[in-house]
Amino acid sequence: MDILLGSLVSGLLLGMVLALVALGLTIIFGMMDIVNFAHGEFLMLGMYTGLLTSQATGLDPLFTLPVAALVGFLLGVLCYNGFVKYLLRGPMIAQLLGTFGLMLFLRNMALMFFGANDRSLHTGILVGKSFDIGSGIIVSATKLAVAVLAVLSFVAIWLLMNRTRLGKALTATALNRQGARYMGIPTERMNALAWGIGGGSVTVAGALIVNFWAVNPYVGLTFTMIAFTVVALGGFGSVPGAFFAGLVVGLITEIPGFWDFFMITFDIDWMSEVPMTSFKYMWIYVAYFVIMVVRPRGLFGWKQ
Amino acid sequence: MRSCQKCARLLLSIVLLIALAFPSAVLAAEEIKIGVLYPLTGGAAAAGRELRAGAELAAEIANSAMADIDMNMAKNAGIKSMGGAKITLIFKDHEGNPTLGADLAKKLILDDKVHGILGCYHSSVTKTVSAVAEQYGIPMINGSSTSPELTKQGFKWFWRTTPHDVYFTKDLFEFLKGMTEGKAKGVKAVPKKDITNLASACEKTEWGSAVSELIEKFSKDYGFNVKKSILYAAKATDLSSEVRSLNAVKPDAMLFASYTSDAILMLKTLKEQKVQPRIIWGQDAGFETPEFRTTLGDSIVGVLTRTVFLPKVADVKPVAGKINAMYKAKTGNDLSGASARSFTGLQTWVAVLEQAGSTKPDAIQKAANSINIPANQLVVPWGGIKFATSGDDMGQNILGTGLIGQYQKTKDGKVDLEIVYPFDVATANMVYPFPKF
Repeated sequence: MDILLGSLVSGLLLGMVLALVALGLTIIFGMMDIVNFAHGEFLMLGMYTGLLTSQATGLDPLFTLPVAALVGFLLGVLCYNGFVKYLLRGPMIAQLLGTFGLMLFLRNMALMFFGANDRSLHTGILVGKSFDIGSGIIVSATKLAVAVLAVLSFVAIWLLMNRTRLGKALTATALNRQGARYMGIPTERMNALAWGIGGGSVTVAGALIVNFWAVNPYVGLTFTMIAFTVVALGGFGSVPGAFFAGLVVGLITEIPGFWDFFMITFDIDWMSEVPMTSFKYMWIYVAYFVIMVVRPRGLFGWKQ
Repeated sequence: MRSCQKCARLLLSIVLLIALAFPSAVLAAEEIKIGVLYPLTGGAAAAGRELRAGAELAAEIANSAMADIDMNMAKNAGIKSMGGAKITLIFKDHEGNPTLGADLAKKLILDDKVHGILGCYHSSVTKTVSAVAEQYGIPMINGSSTSPELTKQGFKWFWRTTPHDVYFTKDLFEFLKGMTEGKAKGVKAVPKKDITNLASACEKTEWGSAVSELIEKFSKDYGFNVKKSILYAAKATDLSSEVRSLNAVKPDAMLFASYTSDAILMLKTLKEQKVQPRIIWGQDAGFETPEFRTTLGDSIVGVLTRTVFLPKVADVKPVAGKINAMYKAKTGNDLSGASARSFTGLQTWVAVLEQAGSTKPDAIQKAANSINIPANQLVVPWGGIKFATSGDDMGQNILGTGLIGQYQKTKDGKVDLEIVYPFDVATANMVYPFPKF
């Protein structure tokens, strides 16, 4: 029973981390149908921002989040105005290859400035702390913080999109760019804003993730692969979809834990012979595949 | 008279022709070229710099006479049996890429006309480069790749000085056995039932899965019980389900083969979940990186790691202390597992060439197969260097051993590795059982 509860809780917590990483990706896609391949690189830069700010100022990594958000926002706006704006004029393939190029550029710039070695945080209020609630539930402080932040971000973004004029303008731009422009909505600025929000949310996630995961210039890929799955599962462009899909993927990564639970509870010998942990990530992509076949729009897809 | 002149001319031209036909034999007395392949850029660049410095230092010592070093290769300037021929190292950067490594090896052999090869750190690169060397019949000595597969290919031109993972894993079980017999310094004999249940978690590529199999095999041989063994993705973003799975069997000792980020994440997760084994052991790699030590700080006091060299070796081996001081003057760092082994690799090259007295591949092959370098010549804590010439581990140094180090807190508050195995060179009392996180 301990294993079951422990796995459930840690799966949900991890799910919220993944959802937060995927949030920016889904916002940008929802707005302008661009798949941002450089998303993981934004995350990586967020991790470096958190790490370096906290090392330079001596502040706890928790307080570097506003800096990371600002860096991410500016980076997103800069990328849009300096680069993506021009891509939008080209065909779809140019947009794909364009953000792919942006990914390579950012990754190699990081390699040049920060070096290839792994770096990680040594101290911090959250680093290495955990709460033992009993009956197998152990909540890691860093993940709890990310989870809380994820919920807050999702609520904030949802309110922004559904309860404000700005959100209406964003949605209008997303649905029909030309029509929105005729109505007097500054679509260019809306797009830039979407990139700013997307960049800011993922760098904040990065600055929190660096509390428990070492950073190097290649770290983005590890998370983007999963973030893409989360977004596809939830439906490209859907904010609530990304949240629930994040939770689903988080639980899927805990399949080995559930497997152990069944093995121990029902004392089934052959189950211990199956190398479940080796295939931990396989189930995520299996789920992705099934969704793509059965419901290509994703669970909450809203755009055709 | 004329026929005499004719005779002389004929003789002269024959001599000239011979000289033209075998220029290398004449030139060899002045320069011996060794091609050195290391990862000088890319992810392993930090290790590459150390490897390069280690080989360079060995070449400097071999090429000049240094009376104050008690080492055969320091006694003469150059290779004595070849009239004082000097060693020239030609470095190439393989970036950790097996294909590039093979191309560079071909270049070294065909364009630079090297007499031998030293390298390559990554087992995967050593694999392709050794195949090229085998194809062209150029001798190659490897100092730092530990995949057991490399010496199982039956190559005739490949020799490896470093012990490989079979030796290292066996060391672990010798160590555990020694603990039950009370041989560990500062620890009373541990009842076998206290450390009999093992759990292992290894990363799932070639290296980790090989280590996992070795742990299973040796645990049977030594009468231990692996209750749970898992393979995990080194790039995993989360290891809590793995740790929960290991902890479910309440292991006495937890054994790991991990790279850097995942080793750190693993230890952090163990700490979060308050796992309490009596022993935590890592198979080098991630467990020995400076990052592991600085990130985790005090919480790794008591963690064991397999290693091949520690500056502490200088306390028990004077010659290592001397070389370490020279290396520190050259680079500002202490010798590490990487630099000490590349030093030893080139030192072996020098000894082989001295014994061969020629740069002809056949002579080198013969010398390498019969070489016997005693332990007192080496900076590494091995029994010496002697290669297996038959059997299924051909070209492997059979006198190598590993070390097991334990992270302990020093007097000035830093966390440093102390030697706990082999028991006769232990530098500190062992911390047992592993303190609570």
